[in-house]
Amino acid sequence: MQPVIAIAITTGVVLVAAVLGLVWRARTGRVRTTVADWTFAPGSLPGLDALAGGATLVLFSTEYCAQCPAALRLLSRLAQERGEVAPLEVDLTNDPDLAKRLGILQTPTVFVLDGDGRLAGRIGGSPRRDELVALLDALIPLPEWSV
Amino acid sequence: MASSATVPAAPRVDSRAPRWVGGFTFVLAVASLLLALLRPIEATLAGRVLSPEFVLVLVLWLSFGAGTFLGNGAHPFAWVYRKLVQPRLARPVPTEDARPPRFALAVGFSLTTIALVLHAAGVPFGLAAAAGFVVIASFLQAFVGYCLGCQIYLLLVRGGLIRPQVPIAA
Repeated sequence: MQPVIAIAITTGVVLVAAVLGLVWRARTGRVRTTVADWTFAPGSLPGLDALAGGATLVLFSTEYCAQCPAALRLLSRLAQERGEVAPLEVDLTNDPDLAKRLGILQTPTVFVLDGDGRLAGRIGGSPRRDELVALLDALIPLPEWSV
Repeated sequence: MASSATVPAAPRVDSRAPRWVGGFTFVLAVASLLLALLRPIEATLAGRVLSPEFVLVLVLWLSFGAGTFLGNGAHPFAWVYRKLVQPRLARPVPTEDARPPRFALAVGFSLTTIALVLHAAGVPFGLAAAAGFVVIASFLQAFVGYCLGCQIYLLLVRGGLIRPQVPIAA
């Protein structure tokens, strides 16, 4: 092959990787609120014994998810900072059918359930704290005295 | 709640190491891709197996194999990182679960196996195609911090291509 073409192809492959990386950086961790109209009752997910009054933050992880422990720490901190919010980790390692049913392609994935168990938001990748806080603010009305 | 957030028995790695290992891998993968594109494939098996692109991928294959089968720390690039890079970085050493990057090494081992087999069999640009995937994955690992190999795990399980292993200590 002509050296010029070989170098062009190699550069092209690296550029593809760079574009993939930029797209991933721009999209990862964003809160999506245009989501399927799903409602999760207690017992419908492993470990979901009860719904928190404000929001339940469900983290889907696997054994091989490097970012999941940090994501769970963020969710736990948010839950501590505000009442009525509870974190829950669901390990998909041995439950691929659940991943299929819920259309989960990557871990971490976070489902934000409102007080009635309705899916209010969905996050693919490590959650962006500010966007998640904004969704929680919208879901959980501030008490009168703090306005 | 938070059932397996901390698995005490899980091995851990310096969380900066996978990106450096990815960086070294990227350099070798780019070189083998370029050589595979530049050089016409040899007519004889001996010629193909002794070609520089084959030898470069063989080095990657052995490295991925060491990391996959003996543990992350046995990867020669991880050794280079420990000797040359880690002493210059800040302490304390941040750590993370060793299993996701080790799974990614297994993905790299599979890709380089395909590259070697295709090249030995005389398939034109077979090695280049497989090396291209290694270039993309190692670039994302090194420069973006995105572990493609780790992400592929869930897709493979979902597709029924691999069976989930028994959790190590859950």
